[in-house]
Amino acid sequence: MKTRNSRHGSSTKPLSYSRRNLLRGALASTAIFPLLDASRAFSQSAVPTRFLVFFTPNGTRNRLFWPTGTESNFQLNTITAPLEPFKNRLTFLKGIKLNNSLQNGALGGTLGSEHARGTGGMLTARPLNPGTQFKSFGNTTSGWGSGQSIDQYLADRFGNQTTFKSLQLGVHVRDTEVRSRISYRASNQPNPPRENPADVFNTLFGEAATSRLAAQRKSVFDLTGSEINRVMNLVGQEDRLKLEAHLTSMRDVEERLVQLQNAGSCQAPAMQAADLRDDGQYAQAGRLQMDLAAAALACDMTRFITLQWSYAESEHLFQFLNINGNHHNISHDFSQSGPGYEAYNKIQTWYTDQLRYMLEKLDSYKEGTGTLLDNTLVLWATEIGESTTHALTTMPYVFAGGAGGRIRTGRLIDYGTGSRERDNNQMLVSIAHAMGAEDLTQFGDPSGATGPLPNLT
Amino acid sequence: MLLRRFFFKPIFFIFLASVFSGCGGDGGPDGSSASSSSSSSSNSSSSSGALSCSATELPVTPLRRLTRFEYENSVRDLLKVDTSIVRDIPADTSQGFDNNAALQVAPDFLVEKYVVVSEALAALAVQNLPALTGCGAAAGETCAGQFAETFGRRAFRRPITAQDKAQFLAAYRAGATGGSHAEGIEVMVRFALQSPNFLYRLEISPVPNPNQKRVPLSSFEMAARLSYFIWGTCPDDALLDVAAAGQLTTQAQVAAKAREMLASPKARVSLGNFLEQWSGLRKLETMTKNTELFPNFSNSVRDAMKRELPAFLDYMFAADDVSLRNLFTANVAFVSGPLAEIYGVPAPADSTITPRMVTLPQSQQRAGLLTQAGFMAVQGHPDQTSAVLRGKFVRANLLCNPPPPPPDDVDISVPELTEGTTARDRAAVHTSAGGNCAGCHILMDPIGLAFENFDAVGQFREYEGGSAIDVSGEIFLAQDPALEGAFEGVRELAGKLAESELVRNCVANNMFRFASGRYEAPGDDCSVAHLHDTFNLADGDLVELMVAMTQTDAFLFRNQGAQ
Repeated sequence: MKTRNSRHGSSTKPLSYSRRNLLRGALASTAIFPLLDASRAFSQSAVPTRFLVFFTPNGTRNRLFWPTGTESNFQLNTITAPLEPFKNRLTFLKGIKLNNSLQNGALGGTLGSEHARGTGGMLTARPLNPGTQFKSFGNTTSGWGSGQSIDQYLADRFGNQTTFKSLQLGVHVRDTEVRSRISYRASNQPNPPRENPADVFNTLFGEAATSRLAAQRKSVFDLTGSEINRVMNLVGQEDRLKLEAHLTSMRDVEERLVQLQNAGSCQAPAMQAADLRDDGQYAQAGRLQMDLAAAALACDMTRFITLQWSYAESEHLFQFLNINGNHHNISHDFSQSGPGYEAYNKIQTWYTDQLRYMLEKLDSYKEGTGTLLDNTLVLWATEIGESTTHALTTMPYVFAGGAGGRIRTGRLIDYGTGSRERDNNQMLVSIAHAMGAEDLTQFGDPSGATGPLPNLT
Repeated sequence: MLLRRFFFKPIFFIFLASVFSGCGGDGGPDGSSASSSSSSSSNSSSSSGALSCSATELPVTPLRRLTRFEYENSVRDLLKVDTSIVRDIPADTSQGFDNNAALQVAPDFLVEKYVVVSEALAALAVQNLPALTGCGAAAGETCAGQFAETFGRRAFRRPITAQDKAQFLAAYRAGATGGSHAEGIEVMVRFALQSPNFLYRLEISPVPNPNQKRVPLSSFEMAARLSYFIWGTCPDDALLDVAAAGQLTTQAQVAAKAREMLASPKARVSLGNFLEQWSGLRKLETMTKNTELFPNFSNSVRDAMKRELPAFLDYMFAADDVSLRNLFTANVAFVSGPLAEIYGVPAPADSTITPRMVTLPQSQQRAGLLTQAGFMAVQGHPDQTSAVLRGKFVRANLLCNPPPPPPDDVDISVPELTEGTTARDRAAVHTSAGGNCAGCHILMDPIGLAFENFDAVGQFREYEGGSAIDVSGEIFLAQDPALEGAFEGVRELAGKLAESELVRNCVANNMFRFASGRYEAPGDDCSVAHLHDTFNLADGDLVELMVAMTQTDAFLFRNQGAQ
């Protein structure tokens, strides 16, 4: 059932600016937009639940990450301290590991570095594919992820109700390898993130197509679609799959490109310039993407977003924190006397502070009797656990927001260590349940445990 | 006594015996059957002549989509407009060459951009309608029909069929009805640019026996292969005319045409694309450097670095010496903007934007591409040099014998820079940590450390942290006697690399992958052997290598695999 028309009741004039200018000056454009109406108004019973993945790279330092105390009475630690204002909206999930197919030496665990494996396995709970297809310059020990990620599973099930089934956003990702893709439409089909805030803005809040352009787009879609169907019968099996995937993508974009109205009644965030090649503007680029993510959720343009900072194994610079080394290198400095020790803590805490901003932003949208944050499940995740050892156990996963009351928050859940650790499959099942897919019993590699995480709801 | 050399030999051989089996000891270069069998056949087949061993079955030749690079070149040639909007299309995913067909699945982000980018380009194109359509006095659907035939043939790289024409006219009417002639043409352009006939390199001409595993290409399919391989863009009208005349059917015709196309300046763009990806220079676009540690670095330096390789290629073509030797050893740089400062030379006249050739001081011991500032910069970290990455580049991309990645559970951090230490001192941790690291690092570090006179942005230096830099190096287990052993500095290394058959074979393998959009497979042995032979006989001439590529089974035939 399409609901998008319901939000176009407002008579507010759609945003006016030159679409093409924005497109052309994508990196440099500066534009300030008037604040428009508030976000979409839902009746309390109709408020949808959203899912947002907040990915930050290069693991964590357990000693300074995990809160101390009991399940309901705990104190945040050095790295997690910036989340203090949201402490009662968080659920720390201690004791979750990537399943055995992703662990060292087990089933598929030999494929790819831990950084790559943790990236591709985080939301799919599956090992990476073999690297045979990648061979190009040298040896590549893995291919892409081997299955659908949970955000895409949910988008397939529930995404048809919004303009965008899902959105993948990135901040200074830049990399195009396995270690930089967390969202998968299917095995071997990674979704690249959108990294240019000006372009994302334009895509979400740009002028809607005129009825004439929409009709022309429809004609072109019909013509090219029938042509793909024709040639699909003339190519080999493998090539046909490629063209089918193209056709599927065409269907996904056709709906949103031929619609006659944009999110006009929704509040578009202010935009400003950000040089995407400059590591010094990480925070600025990130803030724009977070604003856009929050607005897209508030306006119900999509319900499933992955927001990814840099890439796994990131060598991003933090000169703006007076740190000279690169993040990945620093992340291995386990000697407390080493200069990288404090630097790593500083970087991790900075990332936590970005999450704090994201949560604040979500919390600023009133929705029903609560806020957008209350109706969103945020998963904060990274590709590895303890950074110095590349552990794929005790993953530093945190839920934020209540998923519309489906997750009990303000808790530090400790499932234990060693054999008591839970597989990430179960966390993904729990996420699906919170989003309304309560019939899902298993997700990801069959070697992983089934069912949801206990003690969550 | 300090170990001056990175590894003390007797110790090394103990390492070798104990750990090399865990470090890529799986046979030939890349451990691939195609490469290893071809290196043996390269000795025998030189006497028997090229292509004497044509198989009846070719490995599957996968459907290829235009890369962003090819898309941009194509729309520029088709429409003659500013193509900067093409940067909105997501970058090709890659781990290796960006045209790896196995990775070309189209996500919705990409398809969305195909639509909106085609609209922006079409709007620009119709601003100069007469030049675009070339209709002369014709107007309306007559003009649209002509345009469908001329433009459609260039966009689809083959004559358009009656059905194509009907579709073009349907697109025209979607714009012209209730609109204008220009709008009709605009929608036609959008349609063409979103068509699978433009976006994909379809090779589906009818064949007598569809189950054949080695199908000759039609002349138009051959024109497209030649054009995208040699020019990185769609065939022009002249090339399509040659195809229409059926003059791209014999192997000799293909060779002659390839040679002719390689003489065009357009060929430098494609060879530049190959070298840029193979060398890693493509990463200049996204590379970052710490400006506290490298205050000379800026986006202007980055842009000047990007301009250097094309200028170097112009120089090599002008000198009629497009050889590996020239590429690896020319003691020249092509500086523009602030790059002169990075090279430590006075800025040449009129070099603000245009790269100008400078001969570099002998004291720097520069060696062509291998010490180009941009190359030194991309083969490094944002905050320091990387002997590992540089050594790995030589090993993987020049010798085709890459060491495996570090094993799990190994701390792979690079030691912090401290006063009085050099990269060589810091790399010693790879030996002191025990045989686990040494077994593989001995393949990389002693090569990479020879580059240490060049910092992470490519500036020449003789000291690091107050200590003199030692650039002695050694290639262990080279699999080529000409490479084996000790050397001093990059220039000596470059000289050895330039004369190595192993290196030529490796470059040829990479050219095969670049040209084919796939990795060599069993069944490509003949094709690869032909490349090795020709490239070696031609003394490392890259132009001859590209001609040779067009003479391989892999280039001349197709196999679409199971239906």
